[in-house]
Amino acid sequence: MKRMFLPLRICLSLILFLFIGLPFIALLISSIAAGWQWPDLFPETFSFRAWEYILVGSSGTWQSIGTSLLIALIVMIINILLAVPAANALVRFQFRGKRLAEAILFAPIIIPPFVAVMGIHLTFLRLGLTETILGVVLAHISPTLPYMVRAVMVSYSTLSTDWENQARMLGAGPIHRFYHVVLPHLLPGIAAGASLSILISLSQYLITFIIGSGQVVTLPILLFPFISGGDPAVASAYSLLFAGMAILALFSLDMALKKYYQTKNPSVLKVKGAKR
Amino acid sequence: MKKKTLTASLLLALPLAACSAQTGNEEAEEADNLLSADWQEITDAAKGQEVNMYMWGGNDNINRYLDDWVAQRMKEMHDIELSRVPVSDAQDFINQLLDEKSAGKTAGSIDVIWINGENFKTAKDNGLLFGDFAGQLPNFNEYINQEAPEISHDFGEPVEGLEAPWGKAQFVFVHDGQKVDAPPKSMEQLAEWVQENPGQFTYPALPDFTGSAFIRHVLYETTGGHEQYELPAAEIEDLESRLEPMWEYLNGIEPYLWREGETYPESLAKLDQLYASGEVSMTMSYDPALAASEVLKGRFPESTRTFLLDGGTLSNTHFLSIPFNSSDKAGAMVAINEMMSPEAQTAKLSPENWGDLSALDLEKLSPEQQQAMNGVELGEATLSLEELENNRLPELSSDYIEIIEKGWMENVAKE
Repeated sequence: MKRMFLPLRICLSLILFLFIGLPFIALLISSIAAGWQWPDLFPETFSFRAWEYILVGSSGTWQSIGTSLLIALIVMIINILLAVPAANALVRFQFRGKRLAEAILFAPIIIPPFVAVMGIHLTFLRLGLTETILGVVLAHISPTLPYMVRAVMVSYSTLSTDWENQARMLGAGPIHRFYHVVLPHLLPGIAAGASLSILISLSQYLITFIIGSGQVVTLPILLFPFISGGDPAVASAYSLLFAGMAILALFSLDMALKKYYQTKNPSVLKVKGAKR
Repeated sequence: MKKKTLTASLLLALPLAACSAQTGNEEAEEADNLLSADWQEITDAAKGQEVNMYMWGGNDNINRYLDDWVAQRMKEMHDIELSRVPVSDAQDFINQLLDEKSAGKTAGSIDVIWINGENFKTAKDNGLLFGDFAGQLPNFNEYINQEAPEISHDFGEPVEGLEAPWGKAQFVFVHDGQKVDAPPKSMEQLAEWVQENPGQFTYPALPDFTGSAFIRHVLYETTGGHEQYELPAAEIEDLESRLEPMWEYLNGIEPYLWREGETYPESLAKLDQLYASGEVSMTMSYDPALAASEVLKGRFPESTRTFLLDGGTLSNTHFLSIPFNSSDKAGAMVAINEMMSPEAQTAKLSPENWGDLSALDLEKLSPEQQQAMNGVELGEATLSLEELENNRLPELSSDYIEIIEKGWMENVAKE
């Protein structure tokens, strides 16, 4: 980056700002605008009505953020538990019906979730899983799992079994082999999959509404009626809050990962030291 | 490896199945009693219940009226916990109820729903509603004019006590007084105004609810009144040729609309946005006090006013109902009754809270209650209740609406 030609750097930063920063500024203005008439570039008067509505009082925003994050977190954990063995099998083993298994795992990317969720709803109704966080979590797995599997598969495809064999020869059991050899290599893939899983889970409206039947209130449940109903101020304020929540979630994931690497390295050293 | 993954997923699935067998159905029998019990028993049964009200949640004023005003009153006066569940379309919970019906779910969580028109018809035809409960509510018996056609019928469909009226809506045109000196008083004058002020008017594309209502006014005015459409649509043989003048009118004004009629705003929300940002000089609303409420919020300009047509405008009623599998039917009945009380209706009328017209018959109220209701400051943008009341037209039944919506696509949008 440092070596880059300065004008080019400025140019790139400007483009980045135009594409990522500018929409947020427009949202921010629209969330506090009162009476924004064409052709004014900026609104004449401002009001914090929208922010007041969503942050103070009985709109239930904070609780919905908690529910959103809780669901995204559980979905991510289940996805990791499912995706690691699945990716392992799909990358390293040849078996009958492998193509079919892959097709089923990746189907949710192609098939619109609405189609699947109608059937899921009827089944979950019979099982008593509707209106519960558990039911919503399970339903969120279908659109998120493919991305997780895909990301972990990429990691697995660059991991030779030789490494594990070497560890096995040195006497490491399966748990140690996984924890010390496989997992560190998979981690970037898992992190990428986890970010996608979190983002997709956070932004689900239809699935959450149908399976949660209005009893599981996530942030999109509160946000959507304003977008389709057309109160731009409240919708903008909610959108900013939503972006903030997503960034916060990704940031925490990043921090956790960095912490893992930091604590991981000394422990590796310690093991070495012990052997000496 | 394959086996391991399989056992792993099985292990995951087992506890899920175990914690799922917990649906009760004692409540089904209780429900029948509620339709014959006296009010005291119902209020006793309602104490401590949690009532979930599913309704469109896209307006912060309406949400606040429910969360702060109504919910607090329910808590204080009846010991009922009212919680509002926001949806983006009434169709959403109707679909949910349809699924619950076919899956045989008896203890549902939806207790009160806000519906009318097509949604009511779907719910009624599929047996999604609790029953003839309206007659049990004291406020319904005391303050509602039950003979009035807009109470006994919902878009042509007999109500039969399955839902209780909550408020009334009436179509009004919204204009900016600074840009429109003399608002048009008929469709003919509107066409003239549109031609003189090209690009300043448009209407939401069908099947938008309000756009469709606008076209029904065109239908009434260009084809000779609403009386002829009281018959079911199938019984009028020359319907197609009768609708012809309406398409001619709409195609006639099309070149003078916003963006020369090449495109239409996809929803009323988009049209309101065009109006709020000053791109067009008129919008429309099925809520006579909405404009005043938007002025209060600062979204519409101060000079916003509303007007009616001399021939009157469409009006309809919106209702509250209880689904067949509500778990807290007694609480739902008490809540609906409370929302129909003169106090709640008066608060609802104020544009600060919502600005929705009262469902009650003004003449049945006591002088003090009448005074309170007439004293509500409706805002300069709203017409007087009297003027609104004297210019009401009945709605078309939904079989016509379908024909018109299809016809608009073929005759206006495509050409």
